[in-house]
Amino acid sequence: MKKKNENSRPRRFEKWVVKGSAALDRHLMRELEAGVGEKPFESERIVRREEHREEMRARAWLNERLIYIKLHERMRTKGERRIHAVYMLLATFAVILIIGALLYTVSQMPPSGSPDAPAFNTVAERYIENGLEETGAVNIVAGMILDYRAFDTLGESNVLFLAICSVLLLLRVKLDRKGGVVEGPPGSGEDDLRYEPQDDMILQNLADVLVPFILLLGLYIVFNGHLSPGGGFSGGAVMGAGLILYVNAHGYSGTRRFRLFSYGMFRWATFAALAFYAMSKCYSFFTGANHLKSIVGTGTAGSIFSAGLILPLNICVGFVVAFTMYGFYTLFRKGDF
Amino acid sequence: MDILSITLLIFILVSALAVSFTKNLLSSIIIFMLQSLAMSVIWMLLESPDLAITEAAVGAGVTSLLFFVALKKIHGMDAAGGAEGVKHEEKE
Amino acid sequence: MMEWIRFGICAALMLTGLAAMCIAVIGVFRFRFVLNRMHAAGMMDTLGMLACSLGLFAAKGFSLESLKLLLAVAVLWCTSPISSHLIARLVLASENIKEYLEVRR
Repeated sequence: MKKKNENSRPRRFEKWVVKGSAALDRHLMRELEAGVGEKPFESERIVRREEHREEMRARAWLNERLIYIKLHERMRTKGERRIHAVYMLLATFAVILIIGALLYTVSQMPPSGSPDAPAFNTVAERYIENGLEETGAVNIVAGMILDYRAFDTLGESNVLFLAICSVLLLLRVKLDRKGGVVEGPPGSGEDDLRYEPQDDMILQNLADVLVPFILLLGLYIVFNGHLSPGGGFSGGAVMGAGLILYVNAHGYSGTRRFRLFSYGMFRWATFAALAFYAMSKCYSFFTGANHLKSIVGTGTAGSIFSAGLILPLNICVGFVVAFTMYGFYTLFRKGDF
Repeated sequence: MDILSITLLIFILVSALAVSFTKNLLSSIIIFMLQSLAMSVIWMLLESPDLAITEAAVGAGVTSLLFFVALKKIHGMDAAGGAEGVKHEEKE
Repeated sequence: MMEWIRFGICAALMLTGLAAMCIAVIGVFRFRFVLNRMHAAGMMDTLGMLACSLGLFAAKGFSLESLKLLLAVAVLWCTSPISSHLIARLVLASENIKEYLEVRR
């Protein structure tokens, strides 16, 4: 006799008719339990990350607990508690006093816009009335920060340059082409990009479309600093944001294709921008001290090649700011360019 | 003053306080970003577009981005649902 | 007469946009899980913005400012869904959502 298959469809139907639905359920449960035994699909990457996270969590919890134990021991004695209470009371009282004094001072000031406010004095009048003829810039703010007070802007660009230098000193870990650490402290080079989804097609296509427009907008804001609102700092920040978007979309292997994003080019570009600013300041001081007329005249107000040296200085400041923003981001993320 | 200016100023005050009093670090950074955005609109209402562009690009853009990356570096983004500062609950 | 028709179309579109944004804001505050909140917020960015800007377009007529407005909406339509997509990918990779799903993976 042919051996009947116990789990074939006619046999199951027979069981259901004869013994009720409980027999069928038992068969189904047995099948499910047999199938669910092994672990569901989890890639090795996720398992490793889970373990790493558990370890970090345990360590952080231990640290926090130690702090609380120490604090509890300190607060136990009565004298300590009394001193702490008095300190809190005095601190609150001092803060309320300062807030009250400041509010009283502000209420005594004239309302904004009235003619006898301290902001309206002869200095501001001189700048507003003679700003256009002396600097040639339609945007008076750009004329102020890049012509009358250009030395202060040199100090600001210097501060940005110093900031990126210190971040380079502290955070830079030399990496070779594959991402391995060439030199640096032990434990560095942990590229956290490894744990994230990479090669997102949607983001890459969007970045290919959007980043040229963002960079174009940044350049436009920088170049028209003396004609319309904007200037070096805003345009530089927008350009830096565009570069950050490109790095995020294509990863570091995508940006290494361009020679632009390497460490050497970054170094030379920032140095060149700051040096050009300093040189042009030297030239301005020289012609001003000897009562000479500078080569770069003011030109006709409203055209793009006007306002003396404001256009080149805007470009320098814009590049310093853009490279600083991009450098911060990539040094934080990866440790190298 | 306009009702819009008053609303935005109150929004900035409340969000600045909320940044300090929020336990979740990720939420604090997002509220900081909101404060920069509201500040940018206020600069526009005070008729200074230079500052508005700069504040929007720097405050609501690059600075907050650097905060996020720093938060990731100190592993503050563990735990499901975002950062919780440092976890100090009992481990079973 | 044309003025009233123009005003009526503008008001209807703006009210639709505002209603969509209100519902989306309520959704962002009331949902419990991240992905649901993100769904509501995405609706606000796309549908709400489109309706409001079409209303303003109908009010102003065909001029340079209206084209700039449509350009701003186009840029927003490019960037907002991408950010929703990235947040969803991040949530999928980091959070243990298997316990919330109603359908077994």
